[in-house]
Amino acid sequence: MIHEPRPPDRIVIVGAGIMGLFTAYHLARAGAGPVTVVDRGWLSNGASGRNGGGVRQQWETRALVRLARESVDSYRRFGRDFGYNIWFRQGGYLFLAESEAEQQHLAQVAATLRSEGLEAKLLQSEEVSQYAPGLETGGLRGGTYLKSDGTLYPFPALWALREAILRLGVDLRLGTEVTGIDVENGRVTGLATPAGRLPATVVVNAAGGWSSALAALAGLTVPNRATRHEILATEPLKPFLDPMVTRLRDGLYFSQTMRGEIVGGLSVAHPPGTRQGMPSSPAFLRAMARALVGILPSLRHLGVLRAWSGFYDDTPDGLPVIGEDPRLRGFVHASGFGGHGFMLAPAASRRVAQAVLREKSDLDPSQFSIARFLTPGAGQLVEGLQLG
Amino acid sequence: MDSSRPTSFTFRGRPESAEAGETLLQALLRKGLPTLQRSIRYHRPRAPFCGIGHCTNCLVRVNGEPNVRACRYTPRSGDAVTTSNAWPSPQYDVMGVLDFLFPRGLDTLHGFRRPAWATPWFQRVVRRLAGYGSIATTAPAPVPSSSAAIELDVLVIGAGPAGRQAAQRLATGGRPVGLLDRGAIPAPPPGVSLFPEVTAVFLPPPASVADRPFEMVALEEPDRGRLFRARTVVIASGAYDASLLFAGNDRPGVMTADGALAMATGDRAPPFRRALIVGGGLRTAQLLDRFGVHTEAVAAPGPISPEVTRRASDLSIDLYPRTLLLAASGRGRVRRAHLTARGGGPEFSVPIDAIVLAHRRVPHSQLLFQAGAEMEWRGTAGSFFPVLGEGCRTTVPGLYAVGEVAGFAEGVAAEASALAAADAVLGRAVPPATVRGPDGPNELEGYYRELLRFPVGLTKQVACPCEDVLLSEVREAVAQGYRGMEVVKRYTGVGTGLCQGRYCLPDLLLVLSIVEGRSPREVGYIRQRPPVIPTPLSALAELPESPPEIVAPGRS
Repeated sequence: MIHEPRPPDRIVIVGAGIMGLFTAYHLARAGAGPVTVVDRGWLSNGASGRNGGGVRQQWETRALVRLARESVDSYRRFGRDFGYNIWFRQGGYLFLAESEAEQQHLAQVAATLRSEGLEAKLLQSEEVSQYAPGLETGGLRGGTYLKSDGTLYPFPALWALREAILRLGVDLRLGTEVTGIDVENGRVTGLATPAGRLPATVVVNAAGGWSSALAALAGLTVPNRATRHEILATEPLKPFLDPMVTRLRDGLYFSQTMRGEIVGGLSVAHPPGTRQGMPSSPAFLRAMARALVGILPSLRHLGVLRAWSGFYDDTPDGLPVIGEDPRLRGFVHASGFGGHGFMLAPAASRRVAQAVLREKSDLDPSQFSIARFLTPGAGQLVEGLQLG
Repeated sequence: MDSSRPTSFTFRGRPESAEAGETLLQALLRKGLPTLQRSIRYHRPRAPFCGIGHCTNCLVRVNGEPNVRACRYTPRSGDAVTTSNAWPSPQYDVMGVLDFLFPRGLDTLHGFRRPAWATPWFQRVVRRLAGYGSIATTAPAPVPSSSAAIELDVLVIGAGPAGRQAAQRLATGGRPVGLLDRGAIPAPPPGVSLFPEVTAVFLPPPASVADRPFEMVALEEPDRGRLFRARTVVIASGAYDASLLFAGNDRPGVMTADGALAMATGDRAPPFRRALIVGGGLRTAQLLDRFGVHTEAVAAPGPISPEVTRRASDLSIDLYPRTLLLAASGRGRVRRAHLTARGGGPEFSVPIDAIVLAHRRVPHSQLLFQAGAEMEWRGTAGSFFPVLGEGCRTTVPGLYAVGEVAGFAEGVAAEASALAAADAVLGRAVPPATVRGPDGPNELEGYYRELLRFPVGLTKQVACPCEDVLLSEVREAVAQGYRGMEVVKRYTGVGTGLCQGRYCLPDLLLVLSIVEGRSPREVGYIRQRPPVIPTPLSALAELPESPPEIVAPGRS
């Protein structure tokens, strides 16, 4: 039997956030045929321009720990690889436990991390303030600390990847909304946009908070759900806080950026669509202010400079969806990162590219494929560390 | 305690005193215009600029609390006031050398990436340069308990002539009305609940609650949080004097008209002897009435009005209509303004000791943007204003805008707009048309078109003084393909400082529209993120609990 050489794929990535841009970069570098990235907004309009810049490796799920560790290595090299300084500062992540159950939970995480070769420390309550002086430690049971976690500036990563993919010949179309996905004989054939049809043999869904809407255009039902999360930044102060601080009880997270601002939020989801656009709410400002003043009383009079919100793309089990959809040939998922897409993007996008190129991947498909949700009774929470 | 007695405090360890009712800045001004601050990146000397509590130029540390604005703070007996971000003093700061070492700016976007081993060190150094003050050293206090929400029928924001007029008409019409202002409320209209020293900081789009659709967060000076609920909101937040782009535009001695007036309230002398006033309209006439003998010259981007000409000729002040202000020079404080006639001509300079910017009023429109009112660009005024229907209704039901913030000139037109809105709220007949006058091209856009053709010298043109972003960085971003206000903001950091973009975005909008070759509407305005002014965490912490909006707790 003679094999016709397969014509090169025409790849369209929907979403010019960190995941879409990084995927385009890997594909273009691999010479994967013409690659187009479309996004209906401007660069940094979505969650990639709205997150707190945290990069952590502390996860319950071993596969996420590995992706995160690889991403940390990639972000450490990013400035030298891509020409933009993302100011990735490895000031650590400090997780705080207030109850024995939370401390047990963190002890398990620390054990997993250590077995993966990461130097996670399990802390008793009195050790916590060594890592974040001034922190109110009354009521704390303990925590974990991993020095190689850190924070970065999200924006320059987007500028760098934009310029890198343009140099590699990727067609980047901002301000272009996908209005339809053409399907013939169980495979993707193209995309409809107001500017005309785009032929495509592969569509990558990197649409973040809009991923289920995009999948629906292809006739696919996915369990992804967009949730709105709020965040704020304060006036800048001289540096006093090194790690990202994260509290298990309410998902409070905050860090001090390179510019000196305290940036953070609470892991509470707000219903999308109750307010137009993506603004903030007095309820969040109140709750966040109470949490911050409670844990760092010296911040009492510090001014809140701005607050905003963005969408998480959540899945029922807390794990992302990566890989081709078994129901539709050419439709590749890169979604469901639940507010942690930026920190996992360098490594996760590599697996997405592998899926597009039909290369062998080290990811367990039963863990990350959309197929796991297609059987009845699926979708129990697997990854519990959804905060920060 | 006798309230008329002077207050004793210390400034950088030396004893000072303030008269009753004086701000800290006014007390310090008695020894001349003080350099109180160094800029965040290049440690450029900065002296008071806006005078109304928005810019970063008068941030001091009071009793261990960082980032206190001298222009908004009334000293208390025994206060210890110090400066920050400068050593040994803001006047002579060692780090000021950065300004000379990097005449074209420090590229933190591309720089400091190599060698790999040095990056943690770079990070430590750059991080230490960031921020104005250090964390507070005051004793921690408990989280305040929640305050009660203030329920009103009609809430009028801003107690200028238009706001007072609207509140008065509503009160006489029998409606319970509250009037709120960032400052004192002079000549309060009878029958109106007054909320002086209260700043509206966040007005979200109305909720689907019929009786109290508006829920607004406010800051009561200095740090109390207040939540207002109202059926109807009338915005009369007015306008402020804008900044201007030229080389050395952040030098000590450059100030807005607001700033000059705030520093010289009552019979105080202004902090200058011979100023250059920029602008040829109503605001300049007001300044000449007040500071005529302290004025050297008037230069305007466009024509100079007959009223200004008449006043200036009485005082033999030089007039330079249709003139570009290219640069301000002087070691430390400005000593010379460098000018040239628009359309070509030789450069010349005028010896001065201050530049007072009175060329443009920009509306305080943050609340209108926040509330989701549809806004339109008006070229003549060079700003976005709310789209208005009959009776000054905005496109948001229950939200009205009157006076300068709505595009009505100060005076008769502003007051007429206030009465029209009040009548509309009262359900009375209102004149069908709102008279904002015809729209036309923007004078300043043509001005900047000419200015941008001049070569950039070694003196910095600071596009965003709070964050020390240079105009050259903005132009470079556009050249690299980063277009539109939102993206340029994120690329350069412009507009992300303490003034919330008040002293950079109005000019950048015009500059971007020129260099991008698009209309200001297409360039877009950045989303006005709450709060309107930096609001202390403790004030937000004591807000009463809102009707629950957080419905889905996160998984943890």
